[in-house]
Parts: sequence; structure tokens; C-alpha cells
Amino acid sequence: MRLHQWLFSLLLFLFVSTQAQAADPQIEILKNNMAQLQQSMQSLRNNMSDLKMTVENQNEVIRQQSIQIAGLRNERGTAAQPSQSGVAALPSGIQKAVGGFNPDIAVVGTTQAKLTQNKSDADGNNAITLKELELNFSQVVDPFSRMDAVISFNDSLETQNANIEEAYYTRWGLPFGFTGQIGKFRADIGKENLLHAHQLETVDYPFVIRDFFGDEGLASSGLRLKNEIPNPWDLPLEISGEILRGNNGNSFSGISRTPIFDTHLKSFFQTTDDTNLELGLTTMFGDENPPLRVLNGDGTFTDITRSQGTDRFGVKIFGGDATFNWFLPEGKKVVCQNELYFQNRTDLVHLNDDPWGFYSLVDYKFSEKFSTGVRFDYLNPLDVGGGHGTTSVSPYFIFWQSEFADMKLQYTHTVPAGGEKTDNSAFFVVDFMIGAHKHAVQ
Amino acid sequence: MINKKIFTLALFISGVALISNQVLYAAGKLNVVATTTALADIANEVAQDKIHAYAIASPKQNIHHYAPTPKDVLKVKKADVLIHEGLDLEAWRQPLLDAAGNTRFLGEGQSSIDVSRGIPLLEVPTSLSRAGGDIHAFGNPHYISDPENAKIIATNIAEGLARIAPENADFFMKNAEAFNRKMDEKIKTWKARLVRFSGAPIITYHRSWSYFAKEFGLQIVGEIEPKPGIPPTAKHLAEIIQLIREKKVTVIIKEPFEDTQAPKKIAKETGAQVVTLSQAVGEPKSAKDYLSLMDQNVSLLQEAFERAGGKSNG
Repeated sequence: MRLHQWLFSLLLFLFVSTQAQAADPQIEILKNNMAQLQQSMQSLRNNMSDLKMTVENQNEVIRQQSIQIAGLRNERGTAAQPSQSGVAALPSGIQKAVGGFNPDIAVVGTTQAKLTQNKSDADGNNAITLKELELNFSQVVDPFSRMDAVISFNDSLETQNANIEEAYYTRWGLPFGFTGQIGKFRADIGKENLLHAHQLETVDYPFVIRDFFGDEGLASSGLRLKNEIPNPWDLPLEISGEILRGNNGNSFSGISRTPIFDTHLKSFFQTTDDTNLELGLTTMFGDENPPLRVLNGDGTFTDITRSQGTDRFGVKIFGGDATFNWFLPEGKKVVCQNELYFQNRTDLVHLNDDPWGFYSLVDYKFSEKFSTGVRFDYLNPLDVGGGHGTTSVSPYFIFWQSEFADMKLQYTHTVPAGGEKTDNSAFFVVDFMIGAHKHAVQ
Repeated sequence: MINKKIFTLALFISGVALISNQVLYAAGKLNVVATTTALADIANEVAQDKIHAYAIASPKQNIHHYAPTPKDVLKVKKADVLIHEGLDLEAWRQPLLDAAGNTRFLGEGQSSIDVSRGIPLLEVPTSLSRAGGDIHAFGNPHYISDPENAKIIATNIAEGLARIAPENADFFMKNAEAFNRKMDEKIKTWKARLVRFSGAPIITYHRSWSYFAKEFGLQIVGEIEPKPGIPPTAKHLAEIIQLIREKKVTVIIKEPFEDTQAPKKIAKETGAQVVTLSQAVGEPKSAKDYLSLMDQNVSLLQEAFERAGGKSNG
């Protein structure tokens, strides 16, 4: 029995030893195979990485070519050019392909239908008129500057003409961070004067702007400098100063060689996550109107002359503006915008030596397609002395068909100063736009 | 005499203000302005304490229609670096740059980082006409909805910042790689959660989820807007309701700033689930970074599919 046990143990030992000897080369082979597999894996990884890079490069090529094709189509005039006047925005080659060196061009039309109780055959009364057609050009000039121009055409029966509404050159990076603009531009005063008619929520400018600066507001040739005032609170404090040709005859002399000086200070407060408040102050200085001969009610004339020594900067206009924005969920928005202007005149050229006025506008965009609002105007006009001022209420409704077309419906009830007859008017305005058009940041 | 005192006081105040301002901005960090909160977040991941990041567009507003504020103008004026999504996503970008007049961003300067470089674009139009709505000339610009693209964005930001501050190049690149590794892990998780719904047909409000849908295998069969940027009409809504019934669509995706009425009306008619997803960090507030934003998007979508009874088809 013991012998059998010994023999069995010996045989088991021999078997295990043989197996162990046989296993060694197999382990080696397995190790080699593993190493080869690892190498293959690494090689595959490298190939994958190369392929990924190739695909990415090819995608980039395809993308560039697509853009070049789009650009070529544009050059052939088969499609509208996208708005890409940007200089810093696009990867190399894209701008050249898309826009070439052509400026952004846009055409903006405004057509107005007006019904009014006013019996005069003034242009636009009880008629459908092409109120304005604007031709916009803009493009960077060089790495330091850009040019913007707005040529407007109107279909007024009496003064059908083309007008350079704005054409100015902007130079960035002047000493101390100033930006300079020279040419003809809308004066940087208040809020609405900076806007073109089609940008307004209402169909017309507020009464105070129309009375003080003309139906289209104040735009004149001149020079503008603007900058941010440094402050320790990192508060936006933008200041702009302008010297304008004095050919605005409403409030000023109307004489080109006597300039209008104006400044506007703007600040901004983020009051909550959803609300902000913008405040502005305006000052303007200019010369009085030249002497006038006024026809009196009894048929006689009165010569209005200036007092000696009070005509230089005889017109001082001060203004303030406050705009409150409230952003609601789902793209809804409430805007409350107010502007106040008052004049300090040294001469009695106009019948009123203390004209002033304001407007308050509340706008509610209650859906992507619709907004509504109301504007209240009060004006103590330049040419009506004494008595109550003009008051007006203008509720309106806007249909935003798309980013490029809108329709405005407005009713205006006006009680004019000087005891004139109350007027009720209804307006229907259609604004439409083609091409590349971007509005300046306000 | 009084005038002289007032002048001296004004001069003193201006001097103090100017010096304080310069001290504030001389802390050695780059002032980075990003056009969106998502870009600002990814920039922070990449550059961490080497930058001050400021996001321009409010996360609550439609990125296409954002109106820059005077504060944005000031920030861009003072910025060292501008990071933007390129293409024509931010239509307001150029007017903002014009208003700020910061010469660093004029021309194709290296201070501007366009993170769209290298993104495989979808829906590049073959013809350009406004008859197609507010189409994007260079392709769909809503690529940030795809987390795979966030990795390219991070790399672009790192490379861009490395050009501007080469002394920190390794730091930026390492952080971008770390961010991308985190994204890889999360993408696996997100895909695993949505794999059950692969191939499911969905409706979106605007054409802003194409990249997301492609990444997660969803099939967009229609949009509530008849054309990009054009508000829905009654006729189009009727067509969409018909389409939803035909294709057995169970989920409608909208963004927070988009109208609720039209999707709700469709949902009422069809029983589809409306889910509000976001592409902006900070909307909702709990989406405090890009990862949590995508986490929430995936969770909300998963819940919407589950409420609708699992995978509808596919």
C-alpha cells in the first residue's frame, strides 16, 4: 500500500513538472501575443487619431468651400448677402468669400396711411404715402475705422427729394480711448433722437422732439467725440460731446456758421437680474434765431430784435432721459421710456421764451409677434405763448411679422396748445427691409 | 474763488477715480469677455484664476435678439480677450464692437477667439434668401448644444488664450484636456440615459437642437417656427399637429425664452410632452456650469420621454 502511494506521488510529481515545463513557453508566447496586441492597439489608436484629424480638416475644408460657394452666389446676385460686416468675428478667408470688399447694403421702406380730422391738405393727411425709403451702406474702412451712410428718399408732394440723413466716418482708438465721428449724424441727445423713424415704437417722434428740432429730429454735420469716464465703481458712464453745424432753425439760429454744442452723459444700472435702468443727461448750447418780423393779428408787423450782448449761446437746452427695461419670461418685455427737455432762452424770438416738454412711453411686448403700448406727450411749444400746452395720447399696436417687416397701428388724440381744434388721427404704417442692416448699440 | 475750488475738487475726484480704476484692472488677470454664459463658463474651466470672465448675453434672453447694454460696451472696451461663437449667432456682436471701439478686436486679431473653428457644421445652406426665414449663412450656429462640441470649444479657448498669454499655455492646455476628459465621462453617462430613446422623433420650437439631436440619436421631424425666426402661424400649427400624429412624436423641445402658448396648444391637441431645455449656463439658476446644464437637459428630456411612455418608435 505504501509502495503504491509512493509511486502515485512520484508520477504526480513528474506530471506536474512536465506540465510546468510545457507551460513556460506557452506563457512566453502569451506574453508576446499580449505585447503585439498592445502594439496593434496603440497603432490603431494612432490611426484613429490621424483619421479624426483628417476628418476634422476635411470638415473645415468643406465648410470653407460652402462659404466660398455662398459668397460666389452672392457675387452673382442670386441671394441676399448675410450681414457680416464684422472685422473680428470670422475665421480667416470667410469674409473675403462672403462679402468681398462690398459694403453691407440695406433698403428700408416705410409706408404710412393716415386718417385725420385735420382739414388741411397737408402731405400725408387722409392719404397713403411712401413716407421714406432709406438706403443704408456700412463697412469698415481700414483696421482703424468704419463708414456708415443713410440716404433717404421721400415721396412728399412738395419736397420730393433725396436727403443725406447720415454719412459719417468713425475712428476708433484715439488717444485716451476716445472714439471720434465726423460727418453728418443724428445728434446723440436723449434716446429717441438717435433712432431712425423705422426704429421707433410709435409712427412718429414725440412732440417735444418735433417742436424743438424738426419732424425728423436733430441731424446735422459736425464732429463727435465719446468715451467712458473711468470710475472706481466700474459703472458705465459714457460721455459724448458734439459740435454741430447750426442749421437747425427750430430752436437755434439756423445759421451754419454759428455751431450748436451738445453733450450727453449716459449711465446704466443693472437693478436686478431681470431689470435695468438707463439714465441720461443732455445739455445743448447754441445761438438765437436772427431778428424776425412777425405779422400781428391786426395786420401790423412787429420786429423782434435781440437784446445787445445776449445772443451768443442765447439758447440753452437741458434734458434728462430715463429708460427702465423689465425682461419677463418667454421673451416678453416691458419698457418705460421718458424724456424731458426744457429751454432757457435769453431772447423773445419765439413767442414762448420758456418752452418745455416731455413724453412717457410704455411698451409691452407680450408675445414674439405682438407688442402694444402708449405714449403720452406734453409740450409747451416754442411758438405758442401763454395758455395750456399741447397734450397728446397715442396708443399703438405692433405686429412683428419677422425681423425684417412689421406693421404698426396707432391712434393719436391731440389737444393742441393755443386753443386750436382737437385732432384725432389714425395711422397704419408698414416697415420693411431687405439686405444687411444692423442698428447701432443705443 | 469758488469756481477755482470747484475745479480743484473735480480734478481731485477725477484723479482718484482714474487711479482706483487702473488699480482694479491691474491685478495681472486677463479681462475676458465671452458672448454667452456657456462660453464664459468653459473659459473659466480652462483658465481658472488667470482670467476675469464676463458674459454678455443674459441667459434668459434669445441669443439672436439680445440688445447689448452700456455695461456690455464698457466691458468690451476694457477687455483683453473676446470669446465668441462665431458664424452669425450673435448678430449684435459687430455693433457692440463698433460701440466699444476696442482696437484689440479690429481685424482678425489674436485677441478675438472664434470657438467655431473645427466644429463640423450642420445645415450649411446651399442658397441664401430671406424667403427661407432668418437663415444662418454659414450653417446652424447652435452647436454648443452638443457636448462633443464643448470639447472643441475648450480646446479652441485654450489655444486662443495660449497665443495671448504664452507663459500659461501649458496650464490652459492641461485644463482643457481635463475638461475634455470630464466631458468624455459625462457623455457616456448621458448617452446611456438616452439610448432607450434613440431614433425617437421630436419637434423643436426653433432649429436650435440639431447638434444635440444628432449626438443623442434623436430625430427632429419639424419645428414650431414655420421658418427660422418666423413666429408660428395657425396654419403651420395645424400642420405640426398633423405631423405629430403621423410620426407619433411624444416630445416637444422649447427654450426658456420661447413662447409657451403654441407648444402648449400642440401638446393639448396631441398629448405630446413639452420640455424646456436651455443652452445657456445660468438658466435655470441651478445650471451653474456647462456640465450641470447638460445634466439637467438630459434629465428633463429623459423624464419627458418616460412620462410620454418610453420610446415612441425607432
